[in-house]
Amino acid sequence: MWLWFSKLGSPKWFYELSGKWLPWLIAVMSLLLIIGIVWALLFVPPDYQQGNTIRIMYIHVPFASISLAFFPLMAVAGTITLVWRMKLADMVAKTAAPLGAWFTALALISGSIWGSDIWGTWWIWDGRLTSMLLQFFLLIGVISLRSALEDTEAASKACAVLSIVGCINVFVIKFSVDWWNTLHQPAGSFSLADDAPNPPEVWVPLVVMILAIYCFFAVSLILATRNEILVRERRAQWVEDLACNS
Amino acid sequence: MSAVTTTTGAAFIATLRRDLLIAYKKKHDVVNPFMFFLIVATLFPIGISPEPERLGEIAAGVLWIAALLAAMLSMDSLYRSDFEDGSLEQLLLSPHPLYFMVLAKNIAHWLVSGLPVVLVSPLIAYMLNLPDEAYLAVFLTLLIGTPVLSLLGSIGVALTVGLGSRGLILAVITLPMSVPVLIAGTMAVQQTLNGAPLLGYLAILGALLLGSLALAPLASAAALRITVN
Amino acid sequence: MFENVQFSSLSDFFAMGGYAFNVWSVYLLFVVFFAINLAVPVIRKKQILREQKRRLVLAQESRVRRETGNDTVL
Repeated sequence: MWLWFSKLGSPKWFYELSGKWLPWLIAVMSLLLIIGIVWALLFVPPDYQQGNTIRIMYIHVPFASISLAFFPLMAVAGTITLVWRMKLADMVAKTAAPLGAWFTALALISGSIWGSDIWGTWWIWDGRLTSMLLQFFLLIGVISLRSALEDTEAASKACAVLSIVGCINVFVIKFSVDWWNTLHQPAGSFSLADDAPNPPEVWVPLVVMILAIYCFFAVSLILATRNEILVRERRAQWVEDLACNS
Repeated sequence: MSAVTTTTGAAFIATLRRDLLIAYKKKHDVVNPFMFFLIVATLFPIGISPEPERLGEIAAGVLWIAALLAAMLSMDSLYRSDFEDGSLEQLLLSPHPLYFMVLAKNIAHWLVSGLPVVLVSPLIAYMLNLPDEAYLAVFLTLLIGTPVLSLLGSIGVALTVGLGSRGLILAVITLPMSVPVLIAGTMAVQQTLNGAPLLGYLAILGALLLGSLALAPLASAAALRITVN
Repeated sequence: MFENVQFSSLSDFFAMGGYAFNVWSVYLLFVVFFAINLAVPVIRKKQILREQKRRLVLAQESRVRRETGNDTVL
Protein backbone atom coordinates (compact mmCIF):
# COMPACT_ATOMS: atom_id res chain seq x y z
CA MET A 1 0.00 0.00 0.00
CA TRP A 2 2.70 2.44 1.02
CA LEU A 3 4.81 1.47 -1.94
CA TRP A 4 1.86 2.03 -4.24
CA PHE A 5 1.24 5.43 -2.68
CA SER A 6 4.79 6.67 -3.13
CA LYS A 7 4.81 5.28 -6.63
CA LEU A 8 1.64 7.20 -7.40
CA GLY A 9 3.35 10.34 -6.23
CA SER A 10 6.19 9.92 -8.67
CA PRO A 11 5.72 12.34 -11.57
CA LYS A 12 7.33 9.98 -14.04
CA TRP A 13 4.96 7.16 -13.20
CA PHE A 14 1.97 9.47 -13.47
CA TYR A 15 3.21 10.82 -16.79
CA GLU A 16 3.48 7.35 -18.29
CA LEU A 17 0.21 6.08 -16.87
CA SER A 18 -1.78 9.17 -17.88
CA GLY A 19 -0.28 8.89 -21.35
CA LYS A 20 -1.80 5.42 -21.62
CA TRP A 21 -5.18 6.51 -20.30
CA LEU A 22 -5.59 9.76 -22.16
CA PRO A 23 -6.67 8.37 -25.55
CA TRP A 24 -9.40 6.30 -23.90
CA LEU A 25 -10.56 9.22 -21.79
CA ILE A 26 -10.66 11.49 -24.83
CA ALA A 27 -12.62 8.88 -26.75
CA VAL A 28 -15.20 8.53 -23.96
CA MET A 29 -15.41 12.30 -23.62
CA SER A 30 -15.99 12.86 -27.34
CA LEU A 31 -18.64 10.15 -27.51
CA LEU A 32 -20.52 11.51 -24.50
CA LEU A 33 -20.25 15.08 -25.75
CA ILE A 34 -21.57 14.29 -29.22
CA ILE A 35 -24.48 12.27 -27.84
CA GLY A 36 -25.20 14.88 -25.17
CA ILE A 37 -25.08 17.95 -27.39
CA VAL A 38 -27.11 16.44 -30.23
CA TRP A 39 -29.66 15.18 -27.73
CA ALA A 40 -29.84 18.51 -25.92
CA LEU A 41 -30.13 20.60 -29.05
CA LEU A 42 -32.45 18.45 -31.12
CA PHE A 43 -34.46 16.02 -29.05
CA VAL A 44 -35.19 17.64 -25.71
CA PRO A 45 -38.74 19.03 -25.71
CA PRO A 46 -38.96 22.78 -25.04
CA ASP A 47 -39.90 23.65 -21.49
CA TYR A 48 -43.50 24.79 -21.04
CA GLN A 49 -42.25 27.94 -19.26
CA GLN A 50 -38.80 28.60 -20.61
CA GLY A 51 -39.16 27.35 -24.14
CA ASN A 52 -35.90 26.61 -25.91
CA THR A 53 -33.72 28.34 -23.32
CA ILE A 54 -33.93 25.04 -21.43
CA ARG A 55 -31.15 23.90 -23.79
CA ILE A 56 -28.75 26.26 -22.02
CA MET A 57 -29.18 24.12 -18.92
CA TYR A 58 -27.20 21.31 -20.57
CA ILE A 59 -24.10 23.52 -20.61
CA HIS A 60 -24.70 25.56 -17.49
CA VAL A 61 -25.56 22.88 -14.94
CA PRO A 62 -22.57 20.59 -15.67
CA PHE A 63 -20.18 23.53 -15.41
CA ALA A 64 -21.80 24.84 -12.24
CA SER A 65 -21.73 21.41 -10.61
CA ILE A 66 -18.08 20.77 -11.40
CA SER A 67 -17.09 24.26 -10.28
CA LEU A 68 -18.09 23.29 -6.75
CA ALA A 69 -15.52 20.49 -6.80
CA PHE A 70 -12.45 22.68 -7.25
CA PHE A 71 -11.93 23.93 -3.72
CA PRO A 72 -12.38 20.48 -2.12
CA LEU A 73 -9.98 19.10 -4.75
CA MET A 74 -7.39 21.78 -4.04
CA ALA A 75 -7.81 21.36 -0.30
CA VAL A 76 -7.20 17.59 -0.55
CA ALA A 77 -4.20 18.15 -2.82
CA GLY A 78 -2.93 20.81 -0.40
CA THR A 79 -3.24 18.47 2.58
CA ILE A 80 -1.28 15.80 0.71
CA THR A 81 1.36 18.40 -0.17
CA LEU A 82 1.72 19.53 3.44
CA VAL A 83 1.62 16.10 5.08
CA TRP A 84 3.39 13.80 2.62
CA ARG A 85 5.29 16.38 0.54
CA MET A 86 4.07 14.71 -2.60
CA LYS A 87 5.22 16.75 -5.59
CA LEU A 88 2.48 15.47 -7.85
CA ALA A 89 -0.28 16.74 -5.53
CA ASP A 90 1.10 20.24 -5.72
CA MET A 91 1.31 20.10 -9.51
CA VAL A 92 -2.36 19.10 -9.62
CA ALA A 93 -3.24 21.91 -7.19
CA LYS A 94 -1.34 24.42 -9.28
CA THR A 95 -3.06 23.50 -12.54
CA ALA A 96 -6.47 23.15 -10.87
CA ALA A 97 -6.64 26.78 -9.70
CA PRO A 98 -6.70 28.55 -13.10
CA LEU A 99 -8.84 25.77 -14.55
CA GLY A 100 -11.28 26.29 -11.70
CA ALA A 101 -11.39 30.01 -12.34
CA TRP A 102 -12.24 29.38 -16.00
CA PHE A 103 -14.91 26.79 -15.21
CA THR A 104 -16.46 29.08 -12.58
CA ALA A 105 -16.42 32.01 -14.98
CA LEU A 106 -18.11 29.96 -17.68
CA ALA A 107 -20.75 28.75 -15.22
CA LEU A 108 -21.40 32.37 -14.23
CA ILE A 109 -21.57 33.67 -17.80
CA SER A 110 -23.77 30.88 -19.09
CA GLY A 111 -26.03 31.31 -16.07
CA SER A 112 -26.21 35.01 -16.74
CA ILE A 113 -27.19 34.48 -20.39
CA TRP A 114 -29.81 31.96 -19.31
CA GLY A 115 -31.05 34.29 -16.59
CA SER A 116 -31.24 37.28 -18.92
CA ASP A 117 -34.32 35.65 -20.35
CA ILE A 118 -36.02 33.85 -17.49
CA TRP A 119 -35.32 36.53 -14.89
CA GLY A 120 -35.40 39.42 -17.32
CA THR A 121 -32.01 40.63 -16.09
CA TRP A 122 -28.38 39.65 -16.56
CA TRP A 123 -27.52 39.67 -12.91
CA ILE A 124 -29.39 39.30 -9.66
CA TRP A 125 -27.94 38.86 -6.20
CA ASP A 126 -29.23 35.35 -5.97
CA GLY A 127 -27.60 33.08 -3.38
CA ARG A 128 -26.04 30.72 -5.88
CA LEU A 129 -24.73 33.49 -8.12
CA THR A 130 -23.25 35.43 -5.24
CA SER A 131 -21.46 32.49 -3.67
CA MET A 132 -20.19 31.42 -7.08
CA LEU A 133 -18.82 34.93 -7.66
CA LEU A 134 -17.08 34.89 -4.28
CA GLN A 135 -15.62 31.48 -5.05
CA PHE A 136 -14.26 32.97 -8.26
CA PHE A 137 -12.60 35.76 -6.25
CA LEU A 138 -11.07 33.26 -3.84
CA LEU A 139 -9.66 31.26 -6.76
CA ILE A 140 -8.13 34.43 -8.18
CA GLY A 141 -6.60 34.98 -4.73
CA VAL A 142 -4.96 31.53 -4.80
CA ILE A 143 -3.65 32.11 -8.32
CA SER A 144 -2.21 35.52 -7.50
CA LEU A 145 -0.59 34.23 -4.32
CA ARG A 146 1.07 31.46 -6.33
CA SER A 147 2.40 33.89 -8.89
CA ALA A 148 3.56 36.39 -6.26
CA LEU A 149 5.73 33.95 -4.32
CA GLU A 150 8.90 33.27 -6.23
CA ASP A 151 10.18 30.27 -4.30
CA THR A 152 8.35 27.21 -5.68
CA GLU A 153 8.55 25.30 -2.41
CA ALA A 154 7.12 28.17 -0.35
CA ALA A 155 4.49 28.93 -3.00
CA SER A 156 3.25 25.35 -3.02
CA LYS A 157 2.91 25.19 0.76
CA ALA A 158 1.40 28.68 1.08
CA CYS A 159 -1.16 27.86 -1.60
CA ALA A 160 -1.90 24.58 0.18
CA VAL A 161 -2.69 26.48 3.39
CA LEU A 162 -4.79 29.03 1.51
CA SER A 163 -6.68 26.28 -0.33
CA ILE A 164 -7.57 24.53 2.93
CA VAL A 165 -8.68 27.80 4.53
CA GLY A 166 -10.51 28.74 1.35
CA CYS A 167 -12.32 25.39 1.21
CA ILE A 168 -13.68 25.86 4.74
CA ASN A 169 -14.52 29.43 3.83
CA VAL A 170 -16.38 28.47 0.68
CA PHE A 171 -18.73 26.32 2.76
CA VAL A 172 -19.28 29.09 5.32
CA ILE A 173 -19.87 31.59 2.51
CA LYS A 174 -22.32 29.25 0.85
CA PHE A 175 -24.40 28.84 4.01
CA SER A 176 -24.28 32.51 4.96
CA VAL A 177 -25.15 33.72 1.48
CA ASP A 178 -28.09 31.32 1.23
CA TRP A 179 -29.30 32.56 4.59
CA TRP A 180 -28.79 36.21 3.61
CA ASN A 181 -30.59 35.66 0.36
CA THR A 182 -33.63 33.85 1.76
CA LEU A 183 -34.11 36.74 4.16
CA HIS A 184 -33.70 39.33 1.46
CA GLN A 185 -35.92 37.72 -1.14
CA PRO A 186 -39.06 36.09 0.17
CA ALA A 187 -40.39 32.93 -1.44
CA GLY A 188 -41.56 33.19 -5.00
CA SER A 189 -38.26 34.07 -6.63
CA PHE A 190 -37.33 31.75 -9.40
CA SER A 191 -34.69 29.20 -8.59
CA LEU A 192 -32.49 27.68 -11.23
CA ALA A 193 -33.10 24.03 -10.43
CA ASP A 194 -36.81 23.50 -10.61
CA ASP A 195 -37.90 21.11 -7.94
CA ALA A 196 -40.77 19.85 -10.04
CA PRO A 197 -40.22 16.22 -11.06
CA ASN A 198 -38.63 16.29 -14.47
CA PRO A 199 -39.39 13.64 -17.06
CA PRO A 200 -36.56 11.33 -18.13
CA GLU A 201 -36.29 12.89 -21.60
CA VAL A 202 -35.12 16.02 -19.78
CA TRP A 203 -32.76 14.63 -17.15
CA VAL A 204 -31.15 11.71 -18.98
CA PRO A 205 -29.37 14.00 -21.50
CA LEU A 206 -28.40 16.19 -18.55
CA VAL A 207 -26.69 13.24 -16.89
CA VAL A 208 -24.91 12.47 -20.18
CA MET A 209 -23.69 16.07 -20.41
CA ILE A 210 -22.58 16.14 -16.77
CA LEU A 211 -20.52 12.97 -17.35
CA ALA A 212 -19.11 14.46 -20.57
CA ILE A 213 -18.04 17.68 -18.82
CA TYR A 214 -16.50 15.67 -15.99
CA CYS A 215 -14.41 13.82 -18.57
CA PHE A 216 -13.53 17.15 -20.18
CA PHE A 217 -12.41 18.44 -16.79
CA ALA A 218 -10.29 15.32 -16.22
CA VAL A 219 -8.69 15.60 -19.66
CA SER A 220 -7.89 19.31 -19.21
CA LEU A 221 -6.46 18.74 -15.76
CA ILE A 222 -4.31 15.81 -16.89
CA LEU A 223 -3.00 17.67 -19.96
CA ALA A 224 -2.03 20.71 -17.91
CA THR A 225 -0.51 18.59 -15.12
CA ARG A 226 1.60 16.69 -17.65
CA ASN A 227 3.02 19.99 -18.91
CA GLU A 228 3.73 21.05 -15.35
CA ILE A 229 5.59 17.79 -14.79
CA LEU A 230 7.72 18.37 -17.90
CA VAL A 231 8.64 21.86 -16.70
CA ARG A 232 9.47 20.95 -13.13
CA GLU A 233 11.25 17.69 -13.90
CA ARG A 234 13.23 19.15 -16.79
CA ARG A 235 16.54 18.10 -15.21
CA ALA A 236 15.42 14.47 -14.88
CA GLN A 237 16.93 11.95 -17.28
CA TRP A 238 13.61 10.67 -18.59
CA VAL A 239 12.43 14.16 -19.55
CA GLU A 240 15.70 14.81 -21.37
CA ASP A 241 15.30 11.57 -23.27
CA LEU A 242 11.76 12.54 -24.14
CA ALA A 243 12.92 15.92 -25.43
CA CYS A 244 15.70 14.41 -27.52
CA ASN A 245 13.35 11.92 -29.16
CA SER A 246 10.68 14.48 -29.90
CA MET B 1 20.33 36.10 32.71
CA SER B 2 19.75 32.75 34.30
CA ALA B 3 18.18 30.00 32.25
CA VAL B 4 14.63 30.37 33.50
CA THR B 5 12.08 28.43 31.52
CA THR B 6 8.96 30.46 31.01
CA THR B 7 5.54 28.95 30.84
CA THR B 8 3.46 29.35 27.71
CA GLY B 9 1.08 31.59 29.63
CA ALA B 10 3.90 33.93 30.61
CA ALA B 11 5.17 34.03 27.03
CA PHE B 12 1.65 34.79 25.82
CA ILE B 13 1.35 37.72 28.24
CA ALA B 14 4.82 38.94 27.36
CA THR B 15 4.06 38.96 23.61
CA LEU B 16 0.79 40.75 24.24
CA ARG B 17 2.45 43.40 26.40
CA ARG B 18 5.29 43.89 23.98
CA ASP B 19 2.97 44.52 21.04
CA LEU B 20 0.78 46.89 23.04
CA LEU B 21 3.86 48.78 24.19
CA ILE B 22 5.15 49.12 20.64
CA ALA B 23 1.75 50.41 19.53
CA TYR B 24 1.78 52.89 22.40
CA LYS B 25 5.18 54.17 21.29
CA LYS B 26 4.22 54.32 17.61
CA LYS B 27 0.93 56.14 17.90
CA HIS B 28 0.16 56.11 14.18
CA ASP B 29 -0.74 52.41 14.30
CA VAL B 30 -3.62 53.33 16.61
CA VAL B 31 -4.63 56.57 14.98
CA ASN B 32 -4.49 55.60 11.32
CA PRO B 33 -7.16 52.86 11.16
CA PHE B 34 -9.38 55.02 13.31
CA MET B 35 -8.96 58.06 11.06
CA PHE B 36 -9.43 55.91 7.98
CA PHE B 37 -12.74 54.65 9.40
CA LEU B 38 -13.91 58.22 10.02
CA ILE B 39 -12.92 59.42 6.57
CA VAL B 40 -14.51 56.50 4.68
CA ALA B 41 -17.73 56.98 6.65
CA THR B 42 -17.66 60.66 5.77
CA LEU B 43 -17.40 59.92 2.06
CA PHE B 44 -20.72 58.07 1.91
CA PRO B 45 -23.05 61.00 2.67
CA ILE B 46 -21.09 63.05 0.15
CA GLY B 47 -21.11 60.31 -2.46
CA ILE B 48 -24.66 59.05 -2.06
CA SER B 49 -26.96 61.58 -0.51
CA PRO B 50 -27.08 63.86 2.53
CA GLU B 51 -30.79 63.15 3.02
CA PRO B 52 -31.33 61.75 6.54
CA GLU B 53 -33.81 59.05 5.46
CA ARG B 54 -31.60 57.57 2.79
CA LEU B 55 -28.56 57.74 5.06
CA GLY B 56 -30.44 55.98 7.84
CA GLU B 57 -31.19 53.08 5.48
CA ILE B 58 -27.59 52.50 4.49
CA ALA B 59 -25.92 53.53 7.77
CA ALA B 60 -25.40 50.00 9.10
CA GLY B 61 -23.88 48.81 5.86
CA VAL B 62 -21.62 51.86 5.64
CA LEU B 63 -20.36 51.30 9.19
CA TRP B 64 -19.63 47.66 8.50
CA ILE B 65 -17.85 48.26 5.20
CA ALA B 66 -15.82 51.11 6.68
CA ALA B 67 -14.84 48.87 9.61
CA LEU B 68 -13.90 46.09 7.18
CA LEU B 69 -11.71 48.40 5.11
CA ALA B 70 -10.10 49.87 8.20
CA ALA B 71 -9.31 46.37 9.48
CA MET B 72 -7.84 45.49 6.07
CA LEU B 73 -5.68 48.59 6.02
CA SER B 74 -4.33 48.07 9.51
CA MET B 75 -3.49 44.39 8.88
CA ASP B 76 -0.33 45.38 7.07
CA SER B 77 1.33 46.43 10.33
CA LEU B 78 0.59 43.11 12.02
CA TYR B 79 3.74 41.19 11.10
CA ARG B 80 5.68 43.55 8.85
CA SER B 81 7.90 45.43 11.30
CA ASP B 82 8.51 42.21 13.23
CA PHE B 83 9.47 40.52 10.00
CA GLU B 84 11.82 43.33 9.03
CA ASP B 85 13.69 43.51 12.34
CA GLY B 86 13.89 39.72 12.71
CA SER B 87 11.81 39.39 15.86
CA LEU B 88 9.29 37.30 13.95
CA GLU B 89 11.96 34.67 13.42
CA GLN B 90 12.69 34.76 17.13
CA LEU B 91 9.03 34.11 17.76
CA LEU B 92 9.09 31.11 15.42
CA LEU B 93 12.14 29.72 17.22
CA SER B 94 10.58 30.02 20.67
CA PRO B 95 9.73 26.71 22.34
CA HIS B 96 6.14 27.71 22.99
CA PRO B 97 3.31 26.68 20.68
CA LEU B 98 3.17 29.22 17.89
CA TYR B 99 -0.63 29.14 18.07
CA PHE B 100 -0.61 31.10 21.35
CA MET B 101 2.03 33.55 20.19
CA VAL B 102 0.05 34.32 17.04
CA LEU B 103 -3.12 34.60 19.10
CA ALA B 104 -1.42 37.10 21.44
CA LYS B 105 -0.31 39.20 18.49
CA ASN B 106 -3.79 39.10 16.98
CA ILE B 107 -5.42 40.14 20.24
CA ALA B 108 -2.96 42.99 20.68
CA HIS B 109 -3.57 44.08 17.12
CA TRP B 110 -7.33 44.07 17.58
CA LEU B 111 -7.09 46.02 20.85
CA VAL B 112 -5.02 48.64 19.06
CA SER B 113 -6.77 48.94 15.71
CA GLY B 114 -10.17 47.24 16.01
CA LEU B 115 -11.42 48.38 19.39
CA PRO B 116 -11.09 52.13 18.74
CA VAL B 117 -13.17 51.72 15.60
CA VAL B 118 -15.85 49.86 17.57
CA LEU B 119 -15.86 52.50 20.29
CA VAL B 120 -16.27 55.39 17.88
CA SER B 121 -18.98 53.64 15.83
CA PRO B 122 -21.96 55.06 17.84
CA LEU B 123 -20.76 58.57 17.01
CA ILE B 124 -20.58 57.85 13.30
CA ALA B 125 -23.89 56.03 13.56
CA TYR B 126 -25.42 59.21 14.94
CA MET B 127 -23.93 61.30 12.17
CA LEU B 128 -25.32 58.87 9.58
CA ASN B 129 -28.75 59.08 11.19
CA LEU B 130 -28.96 55.39 12.14
CA PRO B 131 -32.37 54.63 13.70
CA ASP B 132 -32.23 54.60 17.51
CA GLU B 133 -33.23 50.94 17.88
CA ALA B 134 -30.20 49.81 15.91
CA TYR B 135 -27.44 51.39 18.01
CA LEU B 136 -27.03 48.44 20.33
CA ALA B 137 -27.09 45.99 17.42
CA VAL B 138 -24.42 47.89 15.48
CA PHE B 139 -22.19 48.26 18.52
CA LEU B 140 -22.45 44.64 19.67
CA THR B 141 -22.08 43.11 16.21
CA LEU B 142 -19.00 45.24 15.53
CA LEU B 143 -17.61 44.27 18.92
CA ILE B 144 -17.95 40.57 18.16
CA GLY B 145 -17.35 40.82 14.42
CA THR B 146 -14.17 42.89 14.15
CA PRO B 147 -12.01 40.34 16.03
CA VAL B 148 -13.05 37.77 13.41
CA LEU B 149 -11.88 40.18 10.69
CA SER B 150 -8.53 40.54 12.47
CA LEU B 151 -8.12 36.78 12.86
CA LEU B 152 -8.96 36.10 9.19
CA GLY B 153 -6.81 38.96 7.98
CA SER B 154 -3.91 37.58 9.96
CA ILE B 155 -3.89 34.48 7.70
CA GLY B 156 -3.63 36.64 4.62
CA VAL B 157 -0.86 38.76 6.08
CA ALA B 158 1.05 35.69 7.24
CA LEU B 159 0.87 34.24 3.73
CA THR B 160 2.20 37.40 2.11
CA VAL B 161 4.61 38.63 4.78
CA GLY B 162 7.73 38.36 2.69
CA LEU B 163 6.34 40.07 -0.38
CA GLY B 164 7.26 43.58 -1.38
CA SER B 165 4.05 44.92 -2.86
CA ARG B 166 1.24 43.05 -1.27
CA GLY B 167 -1.54 45.54 -0.64
CA LEU B 168 -3.73 44.32 -3.47
CA ILE B 169 -3.01 40.62 -3.11
CA LEU B 170 -3.83 40.87 0.58
CA ALA B 171 -7.20 42.43 -0.29
CA VAL B 172 -7.94 39.77 -2.90
CA ILE B 173 -7.21 37.01 -0.41
CA THR B 174 -8.88 38.51 2.64
CA LEU B 175 -11.97 40.40 1.49
CA PRO B 176 -13.93 37.42 0.12
CA MET B 177 -13.22 35.55 3.34
CA SER B 178 -14.84 38.25 5.45
CA VAL B 179 -18.17 38.06 3.60
CA PRO B 180 -19.87 35.78 6.18
CA VAL B 181 -19.04 38.25 8.97
CA LEU B 182 -20.32 41.15 6.90
CA ILE B 183 -23.54 39.28 6.17
CA ALA B 184 -24.11 38.32 9.81
CA GLY B 185 -23.37 41.84 10.99
CA THR B 186 -25.57 43.76 8.58
CA MET B 187 -28.38 41.20 8.75
CA ALA B 188 -28.43 41.52 12.53
CA VAL B 189 -28.90 45.27 12.29
CA GLN B 190 -31.57 45.11 9.59
CA GLN B 191 -33.53 42.39 11.31
CA THR B 192 -33.51 44.21 14.66
CA LEU B 193 -35.01 47.17 12.82
CA ASN B 194 -37.75 44.80 11.66
CA GLY B 195 -38.32 43.78 15.26
CA ALA B 196 -36.52 40.42 15.30
CA PRO B 197 -34.58 39.50 18.46
CA LEU B 198 -30.89 40.35 18.33
CA LEU B 199 -29.68 37.39 20.36
CA GLY B 200 -29.85 34.83 17.55
CA TYR B 201 -27.58 36.94 15.32
CA LEU B 202 -25.15 37.54 18.14
CA ALA B 203 -25.04 33.78 18.63
CA ILE B 204 -24.14 33.28 14.98
CA LEU B 205 -21.44 35.94 15.15
CA GLY B 206 -20.22 34.37 18.39
CA ALA B 207 -19.99 31.00 16.66
CA LEU B 208 -17.97 32.60 13.84
CA LEU B 209 -15.71 34.20 16.44
CA LEU B 210 -15.15 30.94 18.33
CA GLY B 211 -14.54 29.03 15.11
CA SER B 212 -11.98 31.53 13.89
CA LEU B 213 -10.37 31.76 17.34
CA ALA B 214 -9.82 28.03 17.26
CA LEU B 215 -8.74 27.64 13.62
CA ALA B 216 -7.40 30.93 12.23
CA PRO B 217 -4.27 31.19 14.44
CA LEU B 218 -3.41 27.61 13.44
CA ALA B 219 -3.53 28.60 9.77
CA SER B 220 -1.61 31.83 10.48
CA ALA B 221 1.05 29.90 12.37
CA ALA B 222 1.39 27.35 9.55
CA ALA B 223 1.58 30.18 7.02
CA LEU B 224 4.27 32.01 9.01
CA ARG B 225 6.39 28.87 9.22
CA ILE B 226 6.22 28.60 5.43
CA THR B 227 6.84 32.20 4.44
CA VAL B 228 9.44 33.16 7.05
CA ASN B 229 12.68 31.29 6.62
CA MET C 1 -36.16 8.41 -33.89
CA PHE C 2 -36.29 11.38 -36.21
CA GLU C 3 -39.93 12.08 -35.50
CA ASN C 4 -38.73 13.13 -32.05
CA VAL C 5 -36.67 16.01 -33.43
CA GLN C 6 -38.19 19.16 -31.97
CA PHE C 7 -37.66 21.38 -35.00
CA SER C 8 -39.49 21.13 -38.31
CA SER C 9 -36.87 22.90 -40.43
CA LEU C 10 -33.27 24.04 -40.29
CA SER C 11 -34.18 27.71 -40.01
CA ASP C 12 -36.51 26.75 -37.18
CA PHE C 13 -33.54 25.09 -35.50
CA PHE C 14 -31.37 28.18 -35.83
CA ALA C 15 -34.17 30.45 -34.60
CA MET C 16 -34.53 28.41 -31.36
CA GLY C 17 -38.07 29.67 -30.89
CA GLY C 18 -36.91 33.26 -30.56
CA TYR C 19 -34.07 32.49 -28.16
CA ALA C 20 -31.36 32.17 -30.80
CA PHE C 21 -29.05 34.64 -29.14
CA ASN C 22 -29.21 33.09 -25.67
CA VAL C 23 -28.89 29.47 -26.74
CA TRP C 24 -26.31 29.89 -29.46
CA SER C 25 -24.07 32.27 -27.54
CA VAL C 26 -23.82 29.78 -24.66
CA TYR C 27 -23.03 26.89 -27.00
CA LEU C 28 -20.55 29.00 -28.95
CA LEU C 29 -18.87 30.02 -25.71
CA PHE C 30 -18.63 26.39 -24.71
CA VAL C 31 -17.12 25.33 -28.04
CA VAL C 32 -14.54 28.13 -27.90
CA PHE C 33 -13.63 27.32 -24.29
CA PHE C 34 -13.46 23.61 -25.08
CA ALA C 35 -11.18 24.12 -28.08
CA ILE C 36 -8.85 26.55 -26.29
CA ASN C 37 -8.64 24.38 -23.22
CA LEU C 38 -7.48 21.38 -25.21
CA ALA C 39 -5.35 23.20 -27.79
CA VAL C 40 -3.33 25.36 -25.41
CA PRO C 41 -1.84 22.48 -23.35
CA VAL C 42 -0.95 20.58 -26.53
CA ILE C 43 0.83 23.61 -28.05
CA ARG C 44 2.50 24.32 -24.71
CA LYS C 45 3.81 20.77 -24.53
CA LYS C 46 5.45 21.06 -27.94
CA GLN C 47 6.95 24.37 -26.91
CA ILE C 48 8.34 22.92 -23.66
CA LEU C 49 9.93 19.98 -25.44
CA ARG C 50 11.40 22.24 -28.12
CA GLU C 51 13.02 24.49 -25.55
CA GLN C 52 14.22 21.47 -23.65
CA LYS C 53 15.85 20.05 -26.74
CA ARG C 54 17.53 23.36 -27.56
CA ARG C 55 18.92 23.57 -24.04
CA LEU C 56 20.32 20.06 -24.29
CA VAL C 57 21.89 20.73 -27.68
CA LEU C 58 23.53 23.92 -26.37
CA ALA C 59 24.88 22.06 -23.34
CA GLN C 60 26.22 19.33 -25.63
CA GLU C 61 27.96 21.84 -27.90
CA SER C 62 29.65 23.68 -25.05
CA ARG C 63 30.85 20.38 -23.63
CA VAL C 64 32.34 19.39 -27.00
CA ARG C 65 34.02 22.79 -27.33
CA ARG C 66 35.58 22.51 -23.90
CA GLU C 67 36.91 19.00 -24.59
CA THR C 68 38.46 19.98 -27.93
CA GLY C 69 40.12 23.01 -26.34
CA ASN C 70 38.38 25.65 -28.42
CA ASP C 71 37.27 27.62 -25.38
CA THR C 72 39.94 30.35 -25.68
CA VAL C 73 37.16 32.92 -26.04
CA LEU C 74 36.00 32.08 -22.55
